[in-house]
Amino acid sequence: MVRFQGVAMRYANGPEVLRDVTFHLEGGSYHFLTGPSGAGKSSLLKLMYLSHRASRGTVKVFGHDIETTPRRLLPGLRRRIGVVFQDFRLLDHLSARDNVALALRIAGIKEDVIRAHVAELLSWVGLGNKLDATPATLSDGEKQRVAIARAVIGRPSLLLADEPTGSIDEAQGMRILRLFEELNRIGTTVVVATHDQRLIARFNHRVLRLTDGAFHVETRGL
Amino acid sequence: MAGRPYDLPFAQDGSGRFLPWIIALMVYLATLAVLAALATREAVSDWNAGLADSATVEIAPGPDVAATDAALAAALRLLRDTPVVAKAEAVPLDEIGRLLEPWLGGDAVRSGLPLPRLIDVRFTPGIRVDYAALGGALVAAVPSARLDTHTVWHDRLKAFGESIQLAALAIVVLIAFAAGATVVFATRSGLAVHRELIELMHLIGSRDSYIARQFQNHALSLALRGGALGVALGSGTVVMLAIVSRPIQGALLPDINLGASSIAAIAALPLIAGAIALVTARVTVLRALQKMI
Repeated sequence: MVRFQGVAMRYANGPEVLRDVTFHLEGGSYHFLTGPSGAGKSSLLKLMYLSHRASRGTVKVFGHDIETTPRRLLPGLRRRIGVVFQDFRLLDHLSARDNVALALRIAGIKEDVIRAHVAELLSWVGLGNKLDATPATLSDGEKQRVAIARAVIGRPSLLLADEPTGSIDEAQGMRILRLFEELNRIGTTVVVATHDQRLIARFNHRVLRLTDGAFHVETRGL
Repeated sequence: MAGRPYDLPFAQDGSGRFLPWIIALMVYLATLAVLAALATREAVSDWNAGLADSATVEIAPGPDVAATDAALAAALRLLRDTPVVAKAEAVPLDEIGRLLEPWLGGDAVRSGLPLPRLIDVRFTPGIRVDYAALGGALVAAVPSARLDTHTVWHDRLKAFGESIQLAALAIVVLIAFAAGATVVFATRSGLAVHRELIELMHLIGSRDSYIARQFQNHALSLALRGGALGVALGSGTVVMLAIVSRPIQGALLPDINLGASSIAAIAALPLIAGAIALVTARVTVLRALQKMI
């Protein structure tokens, strides 16, 4: 599913924020990615969701070496990856409905199918009465749920979530993580980046720990 | 796209706000250029129709009036016996006097000045006339006669009309290039303004063509609006000019009567502007996105 071999990453000409990262995520696995702030969690996710390129090493996603994969094939790979960004990255001029629908429109899904699926999913995350609300009128927690709905609407093979519970209360957070578990049960590989150790302790999943750009895999609880 | 907003917030940035006005100005100028070319073509065509199948024979004044009249009669006989000539009429002296009045004054005829005589010749339409042979026969019979076939005027008018049309075409082409450059500038500004959102759309799986479609549809919409305004203003200007120039039309200017094909050409200008905007925006976006991951 995802394979990193001796990967390093730097922004422009800055220092390496990741170095010698090697790991393999099997299809259908569920991992927490943790570490202190600034350890490189978000940078690691950026490599996984094909936002950036590694400065060294090999990144393989769905069996494709990203360094040598033709650019025209990247959209197809990205559609198989759902991403929940830490800062939501919603489009402020679009309604909650259109923000979520965007992922399907981009994939060329028909409008009637989009309408039905989006309304259903937004209802499920508790925003059934906010379909036409724009992000400016939503709380951070509601924005987070719209972002999550956008990430999962396309039934991705790989779901990457950067601090998905950071802006919502504990009950909502648990509800979201249970949704991720449901997706994981039907085959979606899930990686949740969080620094919340209490949250990690409540689930029995593998932990990828980043410390100052270096990497450790813990198989706690398995 | 109809009925829902663009995925990119074009309405919230200023990159394309000026585009309809610039396109309107360009289409306005193009409308004037095209209308000038079409009106010139119509006028030249009318003038040529007036000169076609006709000629003038000039009889230089002889030593006395009797000799001039005899030469005139001989020329008329020869012309009327020529098969391709449908009609040959001597222009009355009074009318010749009126034609010469600006140069010789009103009493040219009565004062006994030796005046040339003119014969208005009409040829049978559709039959090719050998002007050289006819002119030669005339001079052989009447040495003081000269056949004026209007070919010099005809050629000059034709060259004038073609020059105006070429100039108009050059203006329209230049305007098209300027419009394209303006769209490139506006599109690049839009790409810079929306860079983060474009990155996001890429990350959720958008192809370059999907993003390009957003920009091209937006550019098309702006260009069509600007183009329609430009054509309306251009047409209004021409109508106003036609009204103002009505008193001198016929004397100096031809009547401006545009046919259906001319109106269609003017109506096509906003569509051409739209097509230029659409293609230019698409190519600009696709080229720029190639540089992104």
